[in-house]
Amino acid sequence: MITYDAIVIGSGITGGWAAKELTEKGLETLVIERGRNVEHRKDYITEHKPNWQFPLRDARLAVGTQGAQEYPIQARTGQFHESVKHFFIKDHRNPYIEDKPFTWIQGDQVGGKSLIWGRQVYRWSDLDFEANLRDAHAVDWPIRYADLAPWYSYVERFIGVSGERLGLPQLPDGEFQPPMEMNAGEKFVKAGLERAFPDRRLTIGRVAILTQALNGRLPCHYCGPCERGCSTGSYFSSQSSTLPAARATGRLTIIPNSVVHSLIYDAAKNRVTGVRVVDTTTNETREYSSRVVFLCASTLATTRVLLNSKSARFPEGLANSSGVLGRYLMDHHFVVGASGAIEGLLDRYYQGNRPNGIYIPRFRNLGDDASRRGDYVRGFGYQGGASREGWARGGSEAGFGVELKRKLHDPGRWTMGLTGFGECLPRADNQVQLADQTDEFGIPLLRIHCTWGENELAMRKDMAASAAEMLEAGGCKEVRTRDAYKEGELGGEPGLGIHEMGTARMGRDPRTSVLNAHNQAHDVPNLFVTDGACMTSSSCVNPSITYMALTARACDYALGELKRGNL
Amino acid sequence: MSRASITRRQALEQAATLLGGALSAPTVAGVLSTATRRAWAASPRWTPRTLSPAQLELVATMAEHIIPQTDTPGARAAGVHRFVDTLLSDHYAATERDRFLAGLADVDARAQSAHGQPFARCSPEQRIMLLKEMDARAYASGRGDDGWFFRRLKELTVVGYYTSEIGAMQELHMSPFGAYRGDIPYTSVGRAWS
Repeated sequence: MITYDAIVIGSGITGGWAAKELTEKGLETLVIERGRNVEHRKDYITEHKPNWQFPLRDARLAVGTQGAQEYPIQARTGQFHESVKHFFIKDHRNPYIEDKPFTWIQGDQVGGKSLIWGRQVYRWSDLDFEANLRDAHAVDWPIRYADLAPWYSYVERFIGVSGERLGLPQLPDGEFQPPMEMNAGEKFVKAGLERAFPDRRLTIGRVAILTQALNGRLPCHYCGPCERGCSTGSYFSSQSSTLPAARATGRLTIIPNSVVHSLIYDAAKNRVTGVRVVDTTTNETREYSSRVVFLCASTLATTRVLLNSKSARFPEGLANSSGVLGRYLMDHHFVVGASGAIEGLLDRYYQGNRPNGIYIPRFRNLGDDASRRGDYVRGFGYQGGASREGWARGGSEAGFGVELKRKLHDPGRWTMGLTGFGECLPRADNQVQLADQTDEFGIPLLRIHCTWGENELAMRKDMAASAAEMLEAGGCKEVRTRDAYKEGELGGEPGLGIHEMGTARMGRDPRTSVLNAHNQAHDVPNLFVTDGACMTSSSCVNPSITYMALTARACDYALGELKRGNL
Repeated sequence: MSRASITRRQALEQAATLLGGALSAPTVAGVLSTATRRAWAASPRWTPRTLSPAQLELVATMAEHIIPQTDTPGARAAGVHRFVDTLLSDHYAATERDRFLAGLADVDARAQSAHGQPFARCSPEQRIMLLKEMDARAYASGRGDDGWFFRRLKELTVVGYYTSEIGAMQELHMSPFGAYRGDIPYTSVGRAWS
């Protein structure tokens, strides 16, 4: 068995960070990745390709289309297009059982979903870290904003975040590069909205895309579809940022095409001593050992590994003496909001494909009387943007011929949309378990049970109504609300937010949580979980930067513990 | 494009946001892949894989009426009919493909009953009359199944044309790489970005 100082399972957003931190601190580190290798630049095979070079013109490959045949689950997200299909997993390689609709979107490559993520980054605040304690759901976080604030800064300085400082307590400012510009429609709506609601702000999205050069990475050139890969490294991905840093230390080894079956546990030492891997090309089993293991395989994959690592000491899954492993699964609920049209501004336009939208920070249940809601707890934020209608409107209106062609020569009217992203309460009955069936690698399938609860459904009503109210206040006409969620159907189901989190939560008490304040398993000192599985509550903001900050902080702690001889 | 479920991409697109971007601009003229050549190149060896020659001509004729040649080439020159054949062959589920083919047959049936010959052999005036009827019915309030075929054909014509090199680069133009400018006079641009 080959031995390393550290093993990191997964090479996505958190695995890349763990690899960078651990190697830079001097540890010989092995990164185990289930998917194929993807090399920065060389493997961005669709980057900058014009649409006419795609046989289907970069069609969305929806469920039921021929291109979705091997991807019946991945095709549920509208992000699944002809141009980025190769960065999603073929579903037969990651089968699971859904009791109710739950969409599990996965990458299957080095870099994981960091290649195709939404890149929106927002710090949590104590409104989030104290939420469970304040309204008595689940358990209290073992950390507060002050514990994580320096690590947010550390991460932001490395990944590069552009955004506007607002001074809001519920959405702390970070180390920002200059913000991207809002367009004329957004500026127009912002003015009316902030006049009508002085407590609300409309800002440009805070995004892990450079507006200034950083560490050899170039500022964004506004080609548009980041998710095809970016040769200038303008958005943060493992490929553009963390893996090169780790590689530069000379202490990084990455093995792709290796899915982790389980962790090997030594009860006498009470330590994880190794990792059991199935080679996805040969189906052969291999083992690796290390002094410390970081699980960064993505929320559900991580918990699946733990559940499948059974021993006499841990018959229900490794580090699961509490029995909460697999429970308290969350996602953000969305696909709810409003859109409307702006009259006028027809002499205003924009240039460049800005891969970013606007953001309206949370304004409900902030702890004061004015923002308190009686019908639900927690809150939501909006993402959205304005644009002028393009040629696509030609297919949805009557008329053809020279008249139609002449009409589509000019852009149409301005429209503006807002989509809410809402916090999901941690509930014990939203959970994953191992099923009896196994996949082609001999690993038991996950059975996923997850539904939106009453709190989410009550919040959605406000998310639609408030979006409409703000658009109207912002001067929009023909405002329409929409909510795509239908119980038991696809459209707004859990998982679709691709912010799945929880199932191996952090907490103060080993009897009710899996991980401590440093993402270290209460039960097994040399085991760390720093991806979304660790989350104790969900906030309403995009989670990735919090995972990154937690990972960097946990690596720092693990190094200290190694030096102190505690691991 | 078919839309079986509402998704994040759609949500954001429908909400008119720019997250994820829509189109990219070309850097250099890339080498066409085999699949792309098969689908796109207007080579004399290209043959349809789903449409019959008569159906292909019907699609090309209707598409050219929808987006005709003006001072820039129209749908036929942009190869919209080849795009439609590619979608029918490589994208649509069988039921959707068959529904589209039935719609084509219905167009000829209407032309036969109104003018005694298939659509492509009708005079331009007769064709435009037929198209006007179909267009009015397709976009009348309610938007029933009745107008499905014509709406779909028009959508495909518009998508096929404006994502072609002719539509994207000659009729419209593509946003250049470089800076993003969010609030500029439309007169400085002059036509829509593709």
